[in-house]
Amino acid sequence: MTSRRVGVAAVATGLATATPALVGPAVASAHGIVGREDLPIPRWLFAWAATVVLVVSFVGLATLWPKPRLEGPGVSVEGRRVVVLPRLPLEVLFGAFGVIAFAGTVYAGLAGTQTGQANLTPTLVFVAFWVGVPVLSLLFGDVFAAISPWRAVGRVTGAAVRRFSGEATPEPLPYPAWLGRWPAAAGILIFAWVELAYPDRDDPSQLAVMMLLYAAVQLLGMSLYGVKTWTERADAFGVVFNLYSRIVPWYWEGGTLRRRPLLGGLPSLEILPGTVGLLVVMIGTTSFDGFSAGPIWSSLAPDLQARFIDLGLNQEHALQAAATVGVLGAVLLIGGLYRLGVAGVQSVGGKLSATELAGRFAHTLVPISLAYVIAHYVSLLLYNGQKIISVSPLGAGFLLTDPLGDGSRLFGSANASIDYGIITPNGIAYVQVAALVLGHIAGLVLAHDRALVLYAKARQATRSQYWMLAVMVGFTSLGLWLLSAQNS
Amino acid sequence: MQQSQRMGLIVAAVALVIGGFLVARGSSTDPQTTAAGSPSATAVAPQETTTAAPPASGSIATETVTAPTPVTTTPKPATPAAPVVLVRGGKPSGGVKKLSFKGGDEIRFSVSSDVADEVHVHGYDLMKDVKAGGTVSFAFKGDIEGVFEVELEGAGVQIASLKVAQ
Repeated sequence: MTSRRVGVAAVATGLATATPALVGPAVASAHGIVGREDLPIPRWLFAWAATVVLVVSFVGLATLWPKPRLEGPGVSVEGRRVVVLPRLPLEVLFGAFGVIAFAGTVYAGLAGTQTGQANLTPTLVFVAFWVGVPVLSLLFGDVFAAISPWRAVGRVTGAAVRRFSGEATPEPLPYPAWLGRWPAAAGILIFAWVELAYPDRDDPSQLAVMMLLYAAVQLLGMSLYGVKTWTERADAFGVVFNLYSRIVPWYWEGGTLRRRPLLGGLPSLEILPGTVGLLVVMIGTTSFDGFSAGPIWSSLAPDLQARFIDLGLNQEHALQAAATVGVLGAVLLIGGLYRLGVAGVQSVGGKLSATELAGRFAHTLVPISLAYVIAHYVSLLLYNGQKIISVSPLGAGFLLTDPLGDGSRLFGSANASIDYGIITPNGIAYVQVAALVLGHIAGLVLAHDRALVLYAKARQATRSQYWMLAVMVGFTSLGLWLLSAQNS
Repeated sequence: MQQSQRMGLIVAAVALVIGGFLVARGSSTDPQTTAAGSPSATAVAPQETTTAAPPASGSIATETVTAPTPVTTTPKPATPAAPVVLVRGGKPSGGVKKLSFKGGDEIRFSVSSDVADEVHVHGYDLMKDVKAGGTVSFAFKGDIEGVFEVELEGAGVQIASLKVAQ
């Protein structure tokens, strides 16, 4: 270390400690349950990533294909079959797995120790489910459709009702068109709020009750509007994990695995109200997770908290209210940025309104949203995921073998400590930056292809893309900034 | 666009990427970012005097401590004074305290609190009880890199942020 650095660091420390904190503690842990943050990405890596993003963007604009490749007339994304597996046994197997996992997690939450770190439920919900399933979706396609406990129960119930009531089976109600994917957006917002703002986020029994409530709402919705419609539009997790699975170049049709072009599943996404809202909520809340660990928020939060205390809230509720403001603010900011870009796209001409255009480009946000998830949570998955599946030695993690925290050994003994050696801090930084850059490129490609479909003239398409480019560079720069030293 | 034009553009882009990288990296001496990003080898020294002295007193054996019960530990020469996290009224005095250590080094700090609670060092998962008006000290090897929360477990209040980096 150079003496200059020491001096600078000392000055910075002095400033930091000299700043009086009127109210006290900043928001406790982000990341839901774990009091650990990644180190900032190295400066040189930040530099590489930022320049690659900018240059790739402009080169892409000039050299990408002149005719749509992922959709439109003459483009078929119907893939050839790769493998055919027996459908029914697999559906039963995965469905049963989902139901058992759900029931076991709820039971552990209610019956087990109420210490968050020693109980299976918080880690399973916030790590294995919330981060693990998106990663699995990116590898194997829509796995959540197969294991979704409410979908499995809903389908079995539906089949049973049809069987026994025969002709008298009532038809599902027509799903309101205006509702679109808004229920999913609301579901994700509530989940993210619990993870980022709710003080008892790692309370096992409260989480278990929330799981039961969520499942009850899903079953109710499915019984009213049909399992398929509800899963595709209103089940927050069903919708989001399905969106992520549309990135991969293969998909399941019953028991048949088919190939399709990379990103090929996204342009065919049905344009529905609330899709932009859902993706903006995903990106906004993940951004707040990163932002809330940084210095700007930790100086802002106490002031916000003080205001809420003045309004009569106690310390804890004021903190919760401040974090709520932060979460909502981040979502509005991301939404505003996207709408700004769309307004620009509209200015190049065409008949579509801004809202219609926003919907037409909504699918371009899917890879960016997944990139944010990976960038912010990969270390959580690799480190805290070991509590579920241990890597050294390979096997059941200690929370899986002792889900209630009562010393039981369901799957033999397991090492209780996390092996932090499985990936270096630099390794994590590479994964984070690679995710952001690849997500950026994927978003650009999708926007380019959609613009070619929307605009008859190539020149108009290109001009519209200046604006989308600005939006994507904005999102990616924000993502990089959240990981960088400036935000640590 | 012609194939050759396309290739030309790509070559130009590669040149730009490298140029851009060199420019961006060159600014790494920017004071603000260095301050935030550079790993600081020394622990942040305690900013305030405490009545309950931390265990690591300096190399001077006859250090005058006003505390009624001086903690008796063998003074280790060449060990810098361990930082103290002051908790007053159940909150970290002066905001969440930033502690910074080099990876692999011995991490030493103490928590002096006016409320009874349990201090939890996340990541390393160390827990120690502190009495009201008491002090607890931590000393462990910094073999996990990252930024970790130090928390009053009962109150759920973060009191310090522990950074361990190369």
